[in-house]
Amino acid sequence: MPELEINNRVVSFKKGQTILEVAEKNGINIPTLCYLAGAAPTGRCRICLVQVEGSDRLLTACDTPAGEGMKILTDSPTVRNARKTNIEMLIASGAHNCLIMDQSSKNWTENQSKIMGQPWHNIMCPSYGDCRLQDLAIEYGVRADDLELNYEGHPLDDATPMIVRDFSRCIGCGRCIQACNEIQVNRAIPEPYGPRKDHSQGWYPLVDYDYCTHCGQCVQVCPTGALFEKKAFGKAAANEIKKVRTTCPYCGVGCQLWLHVKDNKIIRVSGVENAEPNHGRLCVKGRFGYDFIHSGERLTSPLIREKDGFREASWDEALDLVANRFKDIIKKHGPDAVAGVSCARSINEDSYQMQKLFRSVFGTNNIDHCART
Amino acid sequence: MELPFLNTWEKGDSIVNTANSVISGQLSKKSLKSLMGWGGVMIWDRNIDPVDMLYAYLMRVASESCGECTPCRLGTVRLCMVMERIVGGKGRKSDLKLIKNLVSHISATGKCDIGRTISKPVLDILDAYEETFIEVIEKKRQVKKGEYAHVITAPCINACPSHLDIPGYIENIRMGNWEKAMEIVRKDCPMPGTIGRVCVRPCESACRRGLLDEPISIRALKRFLADCEMNGVIKTESPPQGVQKQKVAVIGAGPAGISCAYYLARRGYPCTIFEAQEGPGGMAAYGIPSYRLPRNVIAHEVNVLEKLGVEIRYGVNVGKDITMEEIASRGYESVFVGVGAPDSSKMRCEGEDAGYRCFLTGVHFLSESARGRKPAEGKKLVVIGGGNVAMDCVRTARRLGFEDVNLLYRRTEAEMPADPQEIREAKEEGIKFHHLVAPVEILAENDTVAGIKCLRMELGEPDSSGRRRPVPVEGSEFVIECDVIIPAIGQVCVVDCVLPEEDVLTSWKTLIVDQTTFQSDRQQIFGGGDCVTGPQTLIGALAAGKNAARFISQYLQQGGCKPELSDLILSLASAEGVYDPGESFPYPGITEREEPSVLEPEIRVNGFDEVESCLTPSRARVESDRCLRCYRLLMSAI
Ligand SMILES: Cc1cc2nc3c(=O)[nH]c(=O)nc-3n(C[C@H](O)[C@H](O)[C@H](O)COP(=O)(O)OP(=O)(O)OC[C@H]3O[C@@H](n4cnc5c(N)ncnc54)[C@H](O)[C@@H]3O)c2cc1C
Ligand code: SF4
Ligand code: SF4
Ligand code: SF4
Ligand code: SF4
Repeated sequence: MPELEINNRVVSFKKGQTILEVAEKNGINIPTLCYLAGAAPTGRCRICLVQVEGSDRLLTACDTPAGEGMKILTDSPTVRNARKTNIEMLIASGAHNCLIMDQSSKNWTENQSKIMGQPWHNIMCPSYGDCRLQDLAIEYGVRADDLELNYEGHPLDDATPMIVRDFSRCIGCGRCIQACNEIQVNRAIPEPYGPRKDHSQGWYPLVDYDYCTHCGQCVQVCPTGALFEKKAFGKAAANEIKKVRTTCPYCGVGCQLWLHVKDNKIIRVSGVENAEPNHGRLCVKGRFGYDFIHSGERLTSPLIREKDGFREASWDEALDLVANRFKDIIKKHGPDAVAGVSCARSINEDSYQMQKLFRSVFGTNNIDHCART
Repeated sequence: MELPFLNTWEKGDSIVNTANSVISGQLSKKSLKSLMGWGGVMIWDRNIDPVDMLYAYLMRVASESCGECTPCRLGTVRLCMVMERIVGGKGRKSDLKLIKNLVSHISATGKCDIGRTISKPVLDILDAYEETFIEVIEKKRQVKKGEYAHVITAPCINACPSHLDIPGYIENIRMGNWEKAMEIVRKDCPMPGTIGRVCVRPCESACRRGLLDEPISIRALKRFLADCEMNGVIKTESPPQGVQKQKVAVIGAGPAGISCAYYLARRGYPCTIFEAQEGPGGMAAYGIPSYRLPRNVIAHEVNVLEKLGVEIRYGVNVGKDITMEEIASRGYESVFVGVGAPDSSKMRCEGEDAGYRCFLTGVHFLSESARGRKPAEGKKLVVIGGGNVAMDCVRTARRLGFEDVNLLYRRTEAEMPADPQEIREAKEEGIKFHHLVAPVEILAENDTVAGIKCLRMELGEPDSSGRRRPVPVEGSEFVIECDVIIPAIGQVCVVDCVLPEEDVLTSWKTLIVDQTTFQSDRQQIFGGGDCVTGPQTLIGALAAGKNAARFISQYLQQGGCKPELSDLILSLASAEGVYDPGESFPYPGITEREEPSVLEPEIRVNGFDEVESCLTPSRARVESDRCLRCYRLLMSAI
């Protein structure tokens, strides 16, 4: 196997692996920002820069193939400086007022009031405390004081029911584009790049709603507070959230979910990365359809119809009633007078049980599934 | 032209020489005052204010930044902000350092060559003029505003005679903007389906990706777009911009003529093409066989042309059926001559002028076959030549049913000018190659070809083209018996048929025109393509037609042709070259280029079905992702 050196350590690699993959395999951390697992690396953010001996430029670890005999430094002063410059420019170009704590300059204050005056900016950023850009800024010692801000206007798209797209915090990493086009393959966010002279309006990842399914994958991958769930806005700070893992109740796929919970209430939902079967992906129902859980109209006990209305009953009473009625019908009309239909929200095992019950206990082959038609 | 007083360009001396020949050759009234680009800075004119020039340069870089990567997208705006305050008298002492740091940062960390190439010229100018910059910042000296022109190029763009924005359309394929990509192609190439199939692709030999692993399949990507257009997947009709009154006549519906008419029509001029033959396309239709270029492709391209309002009159031989004077008297205010190089070169071998049956030139053979006729009968056929026309002849002969097809060439395969892919495919089709053989006499019985007497050759000293000259081996004569002989060793021009005046022609019967404006000594007559250059390439002819259209328009609007500074910068870049074959990359290349699939030899020799197929959308996307986007900016003061 070919070998190379990372931070003076000799490691071996397979041809075709990127520098990032080799580093990860060997437990060496290289910070990334735009890199999105499962999609082809684009090298856009220039945070995963590393120094390779013999090269007068810094190379992006995410998309540079590892080469025999390379001597790589992942954390040298040159590398750290370059990363820091990029982080600084990213922060200075948008409405990232989370570093307000260490502000003092007049410039920043002016900017701060400008930012606070915008819609969705009256409170702290929705991803405060859970933001990749903020993490990097802190790790690399970026100080608001040192920045010359050049934040101007940005588009805002808050007209759809679930998602707010506040491009004043967009850092142009393109992860949402990849999530939509390569991971979900909805292709609703066209790549916006091209010479600035033809893009006077900027390069924002604007959505083509003819294609958008409102699945919210873009929100999940956005590393900043540019894309966020409308319903969750202002409901909880990152440190108040408890994450609970569960299985989506909607369909038989069984996607793995994180419920972001505060005070026993779901604030928002995200997909569990690196887990079968969905690898972080979710559809619009799994991600946004959780309001019913806290709905006052939810049934909490069995109801039995009497005359024009319903009355509450115990499970025993309800089940006895159903079993007796089945028995009566079968006695009178034979087993083929009943049929079993299982629900698309039930898991395979439950559907199996249903057909077992109908075939071997009731004695009929009348079984079906609502998703079959 | 004198030497620049500041010259930091890596290959500065060579540029000065090139500039000298480019400028003295064609644009004597214009001169370069300065040059700023990836290699450094050159300044000839002491009146240029370096502060203003740097500002102008950085504004241009910023306007080319594509928005993909952080350092260039944000760094270039920042640089412009800093320059703006410097020239506005609000510069800070720390600004020079800031600029230096920023450009170094952008070049060290940028994703593509727009960002990567800015540090050298900027650092050079700051070094050379540090005091001037400090003066402007500290004393708030007023900056002298100048005017500048620039061009955007790349190794591939520069190698293409029509300077197609290759990274531009490739990038738009990658992003899925096929219509935008096609618009970019059509800006410089009105026959994208033709060029996407049979261009000699000089761009691919100059593709930087080739230094890393394999060049981009530039031609196949263009074909992908063209096929999308032809099949109606994308729509790219752009109506003419404006309406003009002056009528223009175009002679010849070959690529040069088609291109000139297309770009004139897009500018709104009414154009009429006079074409001697019964159909359009010139050598593309009557030379290039349909297994390489199906006829419906040209038909589609001409259809687009006619939709723009261009009228084509077929069967009109200018010089015979109508004279240039008559054309002028019918109200055509300008004429473009694009009559090609239709006659065949002589082999200088005995018997070739005797008029034997079954002895016919390559161009004649191919045009007959293109018209669906079999121009000669027999079993064994011999073609003489080593270029693409010879390849077309042997492969066509195979498809017409000749059982024993032979190619004679004076040198060895290494010296053959034909495309290696053509040679490979011809071999696969069972063509027999005879190298180091030259014909001396055509043998005939009853005035019909019976065989060819040949001499064996060996390679001697290199000639002016750098290829080793073949010299005959004494006493090596031998005879190849055969039924048909086809010389395909080149074509010559006969512009005198159209324009009998000798002063506008060379002794080779080519038309003399200005290299930049394509205007002849008769100011209303322009010309381009093979009839000016001798037999060349499709893309060369298209480029000539495109550029001539621009200058014809200028002539009709302003009464004269004046090239712009950007034309000069472009010719300078073309002459100097942008591709650096010595460049090495700090990482290994691991990708393979996507090649279109080809029909199996056993199947393809049975007819004229197209050999090469089109890339699928997903493979086109994968291929487009390999492009390194090697854009370069070159700016000069006016
Ligand atoms: C067999 C063959 C294969 C080739 N293969 C390739 C290839 O693969 N790739 C490539 O890039 N190039 C190729 N070429 C070269 C390419 O075809 C030419 O360079 C190109 O066609 C030149 O275009 P043009 O418009 O200048 O001339 P032409 O294509 O020759 O067109 C001239 C037109 O003018 C018309 N005309 C001539 N005289 C008159 C007159 N008096 N009145 C009216 N009309 C007139 C002709 O009928 C013709 O239609 C090939 C050439 C040949 C012969
Ligand atoms: S919500 Fe889903 S479909 Fe819509 S833009 Fe985001 S990722 Fe694409
Ligand atoms: S919206 Fe978010 S994910 Fe999309 S480009 Fe902007 S910062 Fe990146
Ligand atoms: S032009 Fe090149 S260097 Fe500049 S933003 Fe685009 S990719 Fe980055
Ligand atoms: S990599 Fe792309 S931009 Fe660079 S020379 Fe090749 S085609 Fe042109």
